[in-house]
Amino acid sequence: METPTADDLLQFRDYSTTSATNSGSGQPAQINVNSPTHSLGASGSGGSSASFGGNSAQRQRGDPLADLIYDMSKSAQTFGGGSGGGGGNQNSGLDGAEGVATGGRLSFLTIEYYQQFFNVDTYMVMERIVNSMIPKRAAGNYLRMNIGENPDLYGPFWITVTLIFSIAISGNIANYLHQANDGYQWHYNFHLVSYAATCIFLYANILPAILWALFKYSLKPVDESDAVETDSATYTPSLLSLMCIYGYSLAIYIPVSILWVINISLLQWLLVITAALLSGTVLIAILTPALRNSQYSLFLIIGILGAHIVLAAGFLLYFFHSPDVPLSAKTSTTTSAPVAAAAAVKVASDALKNLVPANKTR
Amino acid sequence: MDAKLDMFEDVSTSPTYSLEGDMSIPGRRTTTKPTENGVPDYNTLDEPISETVLRDIRAVGVKFYHVLYPKEKSSLLRDWDLWGPLVLCTFMATVLQGSYSADSMADNGPEFAQVFVIVWIGAAVVTLNSKLLGGNISFFQSVCVLGYCLTPVAIALIVCRVILLAQTTRLLFFLRFVTTTVGFAWATYASFVFLGQSQPPHRKPLAVYPIFLFFFVISWLVLSHN
Repeated sequence: METPTADDLLQFRDYSTTSATNSGSGQPAQINVNSPTHSLGASGSGGSSASFGGNSAQRQRGDPLADLIYDMSKSAQTFGGGSGGGGGNQNSGLDGAEGVATGGRLSFLTIEYYQQFFNVDTYMVMERIVNSMIPKRAAGNYLRMNIGENPDLYGPFWITVTLIFSIAISGNIANYLHQANDGYQWHYNFHLVSYAATCIFLYANILPAILWALFKYSLKPVDESDAVETDSATYTPSLLSLMCIYGYSLAIYIPVSILWVINISLLQWLLVITAALLSGTVLIAILTPALRNSQYSLFLIIGILGAHIVLAAGFLLYFFHSPDVPLSAKTSTTTSAPVAAAAAVKVASDALKNLVPANKTR
Repeated sequence: MDAKLDMFEDVSTSPTYSLEGDMSIPGRRTTTKPTENGVPDYNTLDEPISETVLRDIRAVGVKFYHVLYPKEKSSLLRDWDLWGPLVLCTFMATVLQGSYSADSMADNGPEFAQVFVIVWIGAAVVTLNSKLLGGNISFFQSVCVLGYCLTPVAIALIVCRVILLAQTTRLLFFLRFVTTTVGFAWATYASFVFLGQSQPPHRKPLAVYPIFLFFFVISWLVLSHN
């Protein structure tokens, strides 16, 4: 397949179909701008095709107008600085394994392989965080064009770490403030960090994996004769994109967790509902292109929103429990499980000891 | 023709080549004046052990000094070592560890191992992050800098411990808070001086934020210790 010239591209010619082989650099009609890539192979296809086996959609280049729009948006991205690791190459249906077949195969043991997931600038990270908090701010094709082309792991990882520590620290502050006026000597509970860490990492990693599998295996059957729709109708997001989306969606809980320190129960629940609704709406809005293609779209929507609300409510109830309970119960909720268990055992054995002499005196 | 295979005979008679000399560099210096790399270029095999140890201790001390007054950065970056971080980390973990008893009123502070893990794994993760973002600093240089920059935090811990000997009042808590904040700000500023140049410019905030978070968590551990 010959590489077309610029004149050819501008004439809206049809370049589709024969590129059934999925080699990244052999793609025709690419507006290949020489954008800097980070030490990837010659074709640069390694980066953009590193979707972990998720992107099964084969992008047909049938419709010239759609192709032109797609190419222009890709090149606009590359001009925008920090292109997704591969200058303008699309990753149409490339598996993670065979995607790097065209030279520049990066071993996962080198650091350059992982650098492609950190190919973001400051403004991009800020942009993505704001997009995850305000619904409808992101464009309709955000999932596919923005996140799908350049999923990053910086945001999700550091947002989850920040969230873990902010919840643990705010939880401790909240406990301290609850008990400050009781004359109770406040003791720091370090185990909150471990619990928070487990909980948040599971949510941010397992849930995207489940969602990815559900998306992949619940695609609506597609009418093959409808060539234009096929492309978007068979789109499922890659695992990395889903993890990226979920990671960024947790960003709203960081300021909320700091506000949870304020001890008014109504305010806390209001914050839960607001935050869960906001980021839940954003999630649904961003995932719409993929949800449309699924057979269980309604269940998925309910599941996603439900999981989000359960997470927020769980945070509040476990870490910032409201102070309506008496002092002894409070201390038992703030200490870690083994210590509480030991205390319970001691109490039980004391009760038993008291019981036995009582029996003897009878 | 001389049949003897005595090759050196000819050479010894030649006036231009002399085979005599000794293996050590002539003129042994008494002062331990190091070269640029801090490695003395004389024969260190014969020196007394105290001198060997003292040289390393002096290098570590110089680095502590440079962290507290961060003006010149080459000593930490070029000849890095991990002695300082190890000493600081062990000291802080020993002081910060909570006692573990069945009584629920006991101090549920972090265990020794938890502090160790937080410091070392935290430094490793922060370094990895800055390398992945494209920074051009080596792994151990960065870990060395982050470890040495714990010095202000350790000093704040010592001061807080001293303050804790007195009865806890609001004023004293506020004093501890101020001390910890000063230590945290100092540590972040020092590490920024050392590590700031090695990051690509449009990603500098992305690389600085994890350093900030690292010192924030450790300062929180210091502040909440009682």
